[in-house]
This record gives sequence, structure tokens and C-alpha cells, in this order.
Amino acid sequence: MASIRLEHVTKRFGSVTALDDVSLAIEDGEFMAVLGPPGAGKTTLLRTIVGLETPETGDVFADDERITDTYPGDRNIAIMFQNLALYPDRNVFDNLAFPLKQAKRPKAEIRQRVADTAAVLHIDHLLERKPGKLSGGERQRVALGRAMVRDPRVLLLDEPLSALDALLRLEMRVELKRLQRDLHRTLVYVTHDQVEAMSMPDRVAVLGSGVIQQVDTPEDVYHRPANRFTATVVGSPPMNFIPCTFSTSGGVVRIVHPGFSVRVLSNDAPHGAIADGAPCLLGIRPEDVRFTNGNDGADAAVFVTEPLGGETVVDLYLGAQVIKALTPPALAPAPESNVRVTFDPQRLHLFDIASGAALVSAAGRDGAFAVEARNGG
Amino acid sequence: MAEIHLQHLTKQFAGGLLAVNELELVIPDGSFVALLGPSGCGKTTTMNMISGLEKPTSGEIYFDRQPVTKLPPGARTVGFVFQNYAIFTHMTVAENISFGLRVRKPRPSKEEIDRSVQDIAGVLGLGGMLDRKAARLSVNDMQKVALGRSMIVEPAIFLLDEPFSNLDAAFRAYMRAELKRIQHEVGQTMVYVTHDQVEAMSMADHIAVMDHGRLQQYGTPDELYNAPANRFVAGFVGSTQMNFLPATLVLGEGNGGNGRALTLGIRPENVKIAGADAANATLIGKVNLIEPLGAKDVIHLDVAGHSFRVVDSPGRRPVVGENVGLVFDSARKLLFDDETGQAVGA
Repeated sequence: MASIRLEHVTKRFGSVTALDDVSLAIEDGEFMAVLGPPGAGKTTLLRTIVGLETPETGDVFADDERITDTYPGDRNIAIMFQNLALYPDRNVFDNLAFPLKQAKRPKAEIRQRVADTAAVLHIDHLLERKPGKLSGGERQRVALGRAMVRDPRVLLLDEPLSALDALLRLEMRVELKRLQRDLHRTLVYVTHDQVEAMSMPDRVAVLGSGVIQQVDTPEDVYHRPANRFTATVVGSPPMNFIPCTFSTSGGVVRIVHPGFSVRVLSNDAPHGAIADGAPCLLGIRPEDVRFTNGNDGADAAVFVTEPLGGETVVDLYLGAQVIKALTPPALAPAPESNVRVTFDPQRLHLFDIASGAALVSAAGRDGAFAVEARNGG
Repeated sequence: MAEIHLQHLTKQFAGGLLAVNELELVIPDGSFVALLGPSGCGKTTTMNMISGLEKPTSGEIYFDRQPVTKLPPGARTVGFVFQNYAIFTHMTVAENISFGLRVRKPRPSKEEIDRSVQDIAGVLGLGGMLDRKAARLSVNDMQKVALGRSMIVEPAIFLLDEPFSNLDAAFRAYMRAELKRIQHEVGQTMVYVTHDQVEAMSMADHIAVMDHGRLQQYGTPDELYNAPANRFVAGFVGSTQMNFLPATLVLGEGNGGNGRALTLGIRPENVKIAGADAANATLIGKVNLIEPLGAKDVIHLDVAGHSFRVVDSPGRRPVVGENVGLVFDSARKLLFDDETGQAVGA
């Protein structure tokens, strides 16, 4: 096992900058997810770590050894690709043994390592079978086993679950998390699936347009997004962004919307970020929008409701904008009814409209924001 | 607009695979129906038979009580949107959307075409980009253009085959509400094929759940979720899978119901975690793993050797390895016959 460090890595393909001055430190034994939409540079990042791509500038380190120019085969870093690439004509044992045979390990050691790996992955009863006779989940385990069998110092996984159906994906998510907990491998997991990135890793590196947007625990990415981009890549349905303006009259900072206003109590915002009359964005996740009979909050009209079984998505017109609320089915208002909504002040976010950077996130604190009715006190 | 009636519809492929088996389904005029099931369940084959791309082995298809089984696809007034938005990348957005009208005989007047294009672009939020080449659009906008191209010919029936599966998550959530609104406004009969239960639940008036070519249940999202007909539907619908336990474990020996072996089903969101010694705890479980998903936690437990899940709001979390009590309202439990898989009255 080893730590991995990328320092100021830039990689271009023609006019496209796939990785733009990326610095990222993955600790020994850590489970790091790299999350981003298609085209964000995730796969290029993995290929740079394993040595299939050479960066134009910057360096890659494994522990403290510089491996930027080391031949991929000499890095002892294993990668498992999305399309598994199992040998269909060889049985599970031979698929698992392949990397060891390539490395010319003695027969007894090969047998031992294959047996150990198969036991950990619960595929020891399948060693004689060909991949064609395995279920999707079993094939996935074999591919994972083949990547693990040489005991690489780092294991890289490129969207390993994307070809599986929903139930199997759930099962494999739990399985991968268990494996990592038991084996303490350094694991770098590339995905565009926010549920995978939220549920499994120790930390998430959010990648957008080749730039690292945030590196944090899944919960911090969710509750303290660094910017509008990271606020959007986690959460389903995604966070609502409500265009507002600042008011600083009477020495009180308010975020003003035609339907409601929010008093800013926190002084977290960087100096000079707030100017009277300047536009800003208020961020609120759908589960933090509440229906109320009280005076705080704003009038809204229900546009459609989307029942999901355990919860219901309510699409609302707030002025001309549609926002989404997530609510228990019993509390969902009727389609085309008029309602009053308010926002959990402990869960509000304030974003700079130009840069998208988060200015203040309540992140569970009282005393950051207070929601008021329009012109309320 | 039209009612669709599928009668004993069966499709057996040359290799012998029975893709659709005696399917009986009535899709009311103007309704939004989802065909939901895992890959290989027969949902796409069913849709292809409605459109005329596949011929049924036996059975009949009626549109408004008129048999159409022998009609070619072009004569069925059916509109399509596929997963891989088939649009002409060398044409502008307006040219793509208007295509269906421009090839119609007799060709409608230019004013008529322009007006329709404007209307549809307005509904889809493409108003600002009508002159842009389709090749220069984002994936999300391409799918809107594909939708617009089918809408403009005002087909009696609109068929959509996993139209959102290539879109990013945020846009998918947006389009779900949009499509539901569009369908309400336009009032066309819409058949939507998907393997994603969230899409089916959130948009459709009625859902036909299929597995192995057979209809498992046809009902409203609420019926599927709260009163699943069988264990397959119970397990397929719901974002975190329903928990299944041998009924004797919960109800005690001899209380399994007239000597039949039963399985008890309880949804993860209907279970609360309590102390291991709580008086109202029905079961004891050992915490295996906690998945924090932001808005909620999924807590994976071991209950007498069976895997069990609880969905809880984040807050005070149990510790991995800890034994906890599980509390649930007995009225929310479901029972399934182990032999047939069918739900039995609790």
C-alpha cells in the first residue's frame, strides 16, 4: 500500500486541457472517490496515476518516490476498467492467476494468492467456471480480484459498477465498502454517480473541467459545498438556486427575493463580497424546503408532484422560477394548489453569482441565517 | 389521441426466447403509462410491437378499438423518442423540429410550420436557439430537440424508450417534471419505457411492471409502492430495496399462516432504530455499515443472518458493530407466499 500524490499535473489533448494544474494527495489506505460529469478529466487522472498518460507538466508520486516517468508495468499500481476485460475462454482461476503468471511467480505462490483473493471476494466456489457462466456481480468480483491479486500498492477503479443493474449496484457498493474496511487498500474510485461517491469513500475529489473543485468528506461536500458546481454534483434532486439581491440598509444584511427575504446573521462572508443591491444566489436543497402555515417564507404554486413512494418531489413556482421540494408523501400538497414555503435556516447556502463560490453555508448551524416574509421584521 | 389495447400479446423470437408472454394491457386515452422492468423483461419488445417495428407472434393490438396489428409503422400515427436522440446534426434546431411537417404531404404553409416550431420550442425551452446547428448543442438540448421533433407531428401516441438515460442527473430531474407538465398540457397518450423506477414512479399515471415477459402488476405508483402484487414488484419499486425476512422470525413459530411458508416485507423507510433493549423493538439487528447519502442515511444491518436496511434521517448514528432494536408499525408490513411470491392479505 502507498500514498499517491499529484503535484500541479497538467495534461492536454490538442486544444483540450483534460487536467488543469491538478494537485491531489491520497493517503495510504484511503478510499478516495473522484466524482465529476463525463468529460471532467476523471479517466485521464486515473490513466496518469497508472502511467498510461504522461503529463505535460507536474509530477506523480507514490509514497515519496517520483513515478512520473516510470513505466506503467513497474509502478505496481493496478487498474480495473469499466468493461472488465476478462478472458472469456479461461476459467476464473486462470483469469485471477494471469497477472501472477505474467510476473513469473512460483506455482505454489500463485495457487495460494488466487485462493486468498477468491476467499476475500467470496468467489472461491467459482474457480472452475468460465466468465460466460457467471452473473454480472460475480464477473465484477473476478475483475476486481484480478486487479488485487498482485497486491498492488494502489488500486484504481474506473466506473466499475456502471454496467450493473440497480440492485446489483447497491449490493456491490456495500461489498466494496466492506472490502476496503477489511483490507485497508489505497483505493481511487472514479465515478460520475453521486450515490457511489457519497456512500463509499473516505473523501471525494470533485473534478470539473479538468480542475479540482473540492476535496472533502462526502458529508462536507454535501453540507459545505465549495461552489455552485460541487453543490450541483451531489444531491438528488439537485440543490435549488434562487436568484436574489443583497440589501444592506440599516446595517442589516439581507438576501432579498420578491417573495421573501433572508437575514444574514453570520459574518463568514469574505470582506467586500456583499454590496447593497448586488445580485447573489441563495442555495437550498429540496429536502430543506418546508411547507408552512406561518408568516415566514414565500407564496408558491404547485406545478406538478412526483411521487417516489417513500417521498414525493413537489415542483413549485416561486415567482417565475420552478424549485423542487422533497417531502414525505403525507405532507405533499395537491397539484395546482397554492402553498406557503419556507427554508430551513440551518441548511441555507449563499453563493457569489459571478464566480459561483460559496460565501456562507449554514451547514447545520443556528445563527447563520433567518428566513423572513417579504418586508418582514 | 388514442386508447391502446394489447390483447394476449406474445412475441417469441427465432431462437425460442419468449420475450413477451400473453400480455394484456389497456392504456387509456390521454394517460401517461410507464413500462417498467429490468433489462430483458420484454418492455422494449412490447413498445416495438406497439409502434409496428416488431410483429407479434400472436395476439392483437388495438388503437381506439381498431386493430392495427397488421399496419406498417408509418400508418400508425405513433411518435418516437429513443435513448440515442436521432437528430440531424447538420440542420439547425428549427429545421430539425420542423422536419416532420416539411416532409408531410400536402406540405403545410410556411407560416403554419413556423408557428408550430415556435410553440414547441417555447414548451421545451429551446426558444433562444432555433438557428443554432444541432451539432453545437449540449447533450441535454439535443434530447429536447428529439422530443420536439416527435411532438410537432402531433402523433396520437407518443412512445419514449429510455429517453433520459444519457442525460446528466440534474437535467434528468428537471426533465422529469417538464415531461410530466408537457404531457398534461398536450394530453397525448404517452408510453414510457424505463428500467429506472424513479422515473416511472415520478411521472406516470399508471405503471406496468414486467419481468420475464410477463406483466407483474399494473397500477398507480401509490398502489405499486404500498400494495405490491408480489415479491418481485415489492423488491423492484422503492429506492432502497424492501427488507425481506422469514415471517416466522417476526411473527413467531406457527404464526406463519395456515402452514404456508411466508416472507415478511417491510420498507427501510418504515423502520426506526431504537436501543437494543427498547420495549417496542420487534427485532434486534447488528449494524454492518452506514452509507451517508446527504439527505438520508442507509444503515445496513444483520438480522439473524439476513441483510436488513433502514433509511433514517442523518443525526444520531448507531455505531458499526453495535446491536440495535428495530421498531416498525405492524400495519406497514407485507406478507408474501414463498411458493408463488404473491402477496397475501396480512
